[in-house]
Amino acid sequence: MDLLSILSIAMIIAALAVFSFRNYKLAVLTYGLQAFILVLIFFTLSSAHDIAELTSWGVIAILTKVIFVPFVLLRLLKKVNIKSEDEPVAGFFVSPIIAIGFSLAIAMSIYPIYLKFSLVQEHIPLIAAITVFMLGIFGFILRKSAIKQILAFCTFENGIHLTLALTAYNSPGIVEIGILTDAIFAVIIMSVLATRFYKYFGSMDVSKASSLKG
Amino acid sequence: MENLLILVLAIPLASAIIIWLIGINTKTVGMLHVLASVVYAVVAMMVVMSVVDGERHFAFNEMLFIDSLGGVFLSLIAITGLLINMYSVKYMDWEVKKGHLTDKDLRLFFALSHLFIFTMTLSVLANNMAVMWAAVEATTLSSVFMVAIQKGKRSTESGWKYIVICSVGLAFALYATILLYGAGFAVIGDGHDAMLWTSLMDNAKLIDGDALKLIFVFALVGFGTKAGLAPTHTWLPDVHSEGPSPASAMLSAVLLKCALLAVIRYYAIVGNSMIGFEYVQSMMLVISLVTIFVAALFIIRQHDIKRMFAYHSVEHIGIIAFGFGIGGPLGIFAGLFHSLTHSITKALAFCVSGNIIKIYGTRDMSKMGGLIKIAPVTAVLFGIAICSLVGIPLFAIFVSEFLAIKAGINGGDYLAVALFIIGLAIIFVGVFSHFNEVMFGEPKSEVDRTKIELSANIPLMILAAMIVVLGIFSIDSVTMLFSNATKIVLGS
Repeated sequence: MDLLSILSIAMIIAALAVFSFRNYKLAVLTYGLQAFILVLIFFTLSSAHDIAELTSWGVIAILTKVIFVPFVLLRLLKKVNIKSEDEPVAGFFVSPIIAIGFSLAIAMSIYPIYLKFSLVQEHIPLIAAITVFMLGIFGFILRKSAIKQILAFCTFENGIHLTLALTAYNSPGIVEIGILTDAIFAVIIMSVLATRFYKYFGSMDVSKASSLKG
Repeated sequence: MENLLILVLAIPLASAIIIWLIGINTKTVGMLHVLASVVYAVVAMMVVMSVVDGERHFAFNEMLFIDSLGGVFLSLIAITGLLINMYSVKYMDWEVKKGHLTDKDLRLFFALSHLFIFTMTLSVLANNMAVMWAAVEATTLSSVFMVAIQKGKRSTESGWKYIVICSVGLAFALYATILLYGAGFAVIGDGHDAMLWTSLMDNAKLIDGDALKLIFVFALVGFGTKAGLAPTHTWLPDVHSEGPSPASAMLSAVLLKCALLAVIRYYAIVGNSMIGFEYVQSMMLVISLVTIFVAALFIIRQHDIKRMFAYHSVEHIGIIAFGFGIGGPLGIFAGLFHSLTHSITKALAFCVSGNIIKIYGTRDMSKMGGLIKIAPVTAVLFGIAICSLVGIPLFAIFVSEFLAIKAGINGGDYLAVALFIIGLAIIFVGVFSHFNEVMFGEPKSEVDRTKIELSANIPLMILAAMIVVLGIFSIDSVTMLFSNATKIVLGS
């Protein structure tokens, strides 16, 4: 197995760990690791396929995803001072199994269409990109914690970023800037709202917010 | 024209920065807010006037452009946005006086209003599909604190739902954008052009069919979530009902349409490809009818006036989608025209609900009553909004609904038309029972009989006049703009 495939599989495992860890600090640090693996994939792709753009994407990702986003989330954790997550929708054990099972199934069914137009013809990284994206989506559906939902957002954003690198690295620079700027602001705004959420509901459990039904 | 396109983006961005940074008193902030809105509306309408006859103009290396289709939606931001911003000055002042908001909140709200207009304008002017996606996502980020500006459980809950559900939805839209680029690049062979909607339209017939089918599903789920199409509409009633009335009006009257324009851009590419319009029409038709029936069920049992109007937004987005589901020149024209008629009607509805909340101090319609005696002007404006919303003849929405039904009958879609009419009939009955509850009888709660100033009602009177004028007359330049926009969607 080549380095790119190993890194891609490591990224899926890291995403699953972010999803599964009950301890928030550990989950945030694992997200940082997942982002670092993404950076390594960018650098590997850059040298293997001679793609200069991905070297700069990697450097930007170190600053934003590996350093800035975990910093914002660790600050949020310090502010609200909570350590671990309440019981998720389908339980701590079952929900990761559901998430990885469905994510892999969806990735395997649609990746051939993406591969057909992918600028970088690499199977496993593309499967990893879609799997990580779907793990993020399932994170939103199956976890009730606001912090876990922010991590789910960051996770699917990493999946999208890898898909973009494989399929459209030669798109105009403004595309990457626009997507990344939105993602950074979204994390900041979600963190502010999560702090507010904890202040008013005394918990990070979003299922406790039910005054707007009907 | 290139300078005008840049100016129409620069004005709201500069206005947002100036309003936020300059520490001036509340009255001056309000005046600056209105002045900036007027200047923006004038420039935006100059841009719109330049594309009425079907011309198109580009800027920033073709990454921005305006055509008749964009012109339709830019006119909504300009006109409806201006009138809502004019109304917001008095309404937000009342919120401050009541102690719901501080002067700093007020300044933030006005600054965000212009930032929000900037992001919506960018989404309409974007020719680059990724810029369009980024702009639609940015509309969420710029408006989330307009909705959650009041501190408290309900506003925090609505803000959270808004950003989370829309971000998840739009993630699918980004996946659609990336695949569209890949499929487009395989045909066009140029990284810059493969992102441009105009190039993708020119080469639509050559783009891979399987990819386009998946792209449309993702785009419909993604941008459809933001537009309020069922089943991912769940954020909309909470968000539209919790923000201050001008924020609700802006979201419902303008924002939803910008997200829908993104769906329409994808609809046009896939429709003009080898896949053809039948595929996109059938998907739009199913989703539109589901949306209308979901909205109908919730409207009937709703007692919160703003939630009722929020579910009306869901219903009317369904009606616009129905026009595109029927398709053809008349169906698409009806869908586009409904965007305009619903925009002005819903702006009036939400702003007038602001007046009603001021009077009764509650949003619960079962605690209201006797509005016609307490505030006749507000009652008449409320009546016009309701009559138009349920599609009574001589009011604007009737025209677009009638055209959609006519297009359906002409195309032989009898079952779809029958279901459409049943959905509208359920809503008609539900809304009129609420209407009677508010208008007649005796008030069931404390009433603030302070007269609402004429200056607060003038923007609402203009909206009401537009509803009646569009319901009775056919205006040549408006018809020409919408006809040319329809031709663009059809690729002719």
